Amino acid sequence: MGVYSYIARRVMLSLIVLLGVSILTFLLTRVVPSKPEIRWVGPRATEEQIARAREELGLDKPLYVQYWKYITDFVRGNWGISIRTKQPVLRDILARLPASLELILASMILAVIVGLPLGILSAAKAGSTVDHLGRLLSIAGVALPSFWLGMILQLVFAKELGLLPLAERADMLVLLLNPLKHITGFYLFDSLVTGNFTVFVDALKHLVLPAVTLSTYPLGLCVRMTRASLLEVLGEDYIRTARAYGTREAKVLGKYALKNALGPVITVLALTFAYSLAATFLVESVFAWPGLGRYASEAIMTVDYPAIMGITILVAFTYIALNLLVDIVLALLDPRIRLG
Amino acid sequence: MRRGVVLVLTLAVVLGASGLVFGAKPEVAVYAFGSEVMVFWDPSDTYSNEIIAMNNMYEQLIRYDPFTDTFEPVLAESYEKSADGLVWTFHLRQGVKFHTGNELTAEAVKLSIERTIARGMGASYIWAPVDRIEAVDKYTVSFHLKYPAPLDLIASGAYAAFIFDPAYSDHDWFAAGNDSGTGPYTVEDWKAGDYLVLKKFDGYWRGWEGKHFDKVIFKTVPEASTRRLMLEAGTADFTDDLPITEIEAIQGNPDIEIVVTPSFQNLLALFNTQKPPLDNPLVRKALAYTLPYADVIEGVRFGYARQSRGVVPYGLWGYSDRVKQYTYSLETAKALLAEAGYPEGGLKLLLTYVSGDEDERRVGELWKSALAQIGVELELRGMPWEAQVDLGQASDPMQRQDIFLFYWWPDFPHPHSFLREMFGTRDEILFNFTYYSNPVFDHLIKRAEELAGTNRAEAINLYVEAQNILMEEAPGVAIYDLEYVRAKRASLKGYVDNPAYPHVVFWYDCYREG
Repeated sequence: MGVYSYIARRVMLSLIVLLGVSILTFLLTRVVPSKPEIRWVGPRATEEQIARAREELGLDKPLYVQYWKYITDFVRGNWGISIRTKQPVLRDILARLPASLELILASMILAVIVGLPLGILSAAKAGSTVDHLGRLLSIAGVALPSFWLGMILQLVFAKELGLLPLAERADMLVLLLNPLKHITGFYLFDSLVTGNFTVFVDALKHLVLPAVTLSTYPLGLCVRMTRASLLEVLGEDYIRTARAYGTREAKVLGKYALKNALGPVITVLALTFAYSLAATFLVESVFAWPGLGRYASEAIMTVDYPAIMGITILVAFTYIALNLLVDIVLALLDPRIRLG
Repeated sequence: MRRGVVLVLTLAVVLGASGLVFGAKPEVAVYAFGSEVMVFWDPSDTYSNEIIAMNNMYEQLIRYDPFTDTFEPVLAESYEKSADGLVWTFHLRQGVKFHTGNELTAEAVKLSIERTIARGMGASYIWAPVDRIEAVDKYTVSFHLKYPAPLDLIASGAYAAFIFDPAYSDHDWFAAGNDSGTGPYTVEDWKAGDYLVLKKFDGYWRGWEGKHFDKVIFKTVPEASTRRLMLEAGTADFTDDLPITEIEAIQGNPDIEIVVTPSFQNLLALFNTQKPPLDNPLVRKALAYTLPYADVIEGVRFGYARQSRGVVPYGLWGYSDRVKQYTYSLETAKALLAEAGYPEGGLKLLLTYVSGDEDERRVGELWKSALAQIGVELELRGMPWEAQVDLGQASDPMQRQDIFLFYWWPDFPHPHSFLREMFGTRDEILFNFTYYSNPVFDHLIKRAEELAGTNRAEAINLYVEAQNILMEEAPGVAIYDLEYVRAKRASLKGYVDNPAYPHVVFWYDCYREG
């Protein structure tokens, strides 16, 4: 099979999965016993107000009509109005996405910068003290509850030592005195390109604790995956051959082994990224970070079905898109995948 | 090159930190709030958290002080009512400007309230007694009522009583984050789910003499421990709704003050009066004697509540010492059960509450252990609010719960909704989870409502009588009246908690000392 037909097939499959997710979520949010029309007009509404809201929200129509209207509106960019915030869902999501992305990207970069060398070191010196420490760290990283770690970091670095800010994306007073021009919604990027260094430094300081907290999980994964995958590759014949030729160990590791070992690491990190989009709510909650995770958890708790739908489809899309991207890249690199 | 960048960065940090580049800093106050602040932007629709900000952006004609039962003139300098209580005339303050620059007139008041009534959202029903509104002259507006009603209480409501500039009242314009009020503050910046910044309105009619804040920030901080830490660090000036454990952690901190005020919110246990065994008033009364009131208030609220008397909460007019109060007495309960034909108990009852509400759950647990001592088995079932309501509204009374734990608070300071919504005869079940129907009671509260605008003392007498009927027949029992517990920086002065405007800080009255 050629690369293009492989890609075409994967894209088609992805679209079907997305459609399935949207139908499933739509049905699930409607099966849950909830009365969105009552939530829409408030707890003390009269019967007429409720009936009017039902009509306004289209809830008086059959389910398949509602779904069809939802999905056709959705592709046109109308994701419905949130029951909880009374704002268009797409606008709500776009307002919160940059905050989440900034945090997740920072934590991912941190995880890779620290995790990759640690994983390599662990694999290169398998069985040594360094290896044991690396493995301990990776297990701790995956196992530590993030909200607990976040609170401990707050207590130590913000309250006791006073080194870093407690919460929020930036100090409100700093923002008021140095208004930030919103270009992308990423505070670090926007402040840097507009030359607003005061906000840049402030936002960077604010990013440290939540990013460290959020990075522990991907960091642990990164160490473990790098180590395991590298060890496997190091056992291959061609590595033995390279070593037999007297190639320097650093070159064997860095040039011949690592390249082949990185595939699984990239896949796992990409999926963790997509997963983080909506799963960061504990960290976002502790650090008053106005991101998508918090929006998602609040939507779920209040059965805000348009918001739940929007987030689910977005996260599913990100998952599928990243997965697809990784697969395509790997397929381009390794013919065995597309032929297999 | 790299050294240059570092130099610039360092300089920026140093200058920024020393405040050299900014000049005078504005006085800024921060209110850390546990949830989204701006739910509704339309002042006609307001029915949620946004009142904490809107009461600083918009104003009512008058404002109510429940502790003295008096009204403070705001946009109206004075008002009077006709002898029959059917016509209320307000004389407006002259020279008041909206944030839009337009002047406040009688016509604007008329159009504001008419729009709120026409939209029919949220708490707009409080205007139901109004027949028509008349702009008598530029600064005089009259409300003609269908029946006598306390229009002063309605016009001072925390919801649905805001006056705005009718020339700027497009729903979508509001929803985009704009306001057109007369209040001391107006919108500067808003980021959904994150913060709302209000700045002072230079043309405010009270002027800006004396100490005031230039800006007020409402910051959404969901985690209670983070709000507490922000208060300790001084990055927040005020927060409400801290769990008792967080309150205990800051008690004794000299930089922080705890403010406790009675609220108009109470927790009630509503009995299913249509389903055996609770269709028998003797069994219901027995249950009312089994609630360990003192233990509940200490164990659940750590003392931040008081036992209810009747169903109207303490501090709201209509509350009276003349209303009977139940006490915890298992002996009395046993005797009543025996009289009802259950000498050994042997009853099984289902109590529903909102899952996740720790207070309700703990009340249930304490009650359950008390009931077990007299042979009554109580099943506690935590459910999502919607599901709890669905069960309560099931068409067959036998399918419904036996006991419904329920909070109630009024939309404007009036006892009527406590009595009517939960105990008045209703064709359709909305909140009457007692399913109680008593024509004598219905007549009393209807008469009381009509008198509330003209003869408050007589209205209170009737409400007392009605509540004593409820105590005698026990279709439900109010357990405790909540107390609001708020925390603020000790340096924040001028704050007065007014339970008629729940969770609102009137920032114009506040300032920072030191």
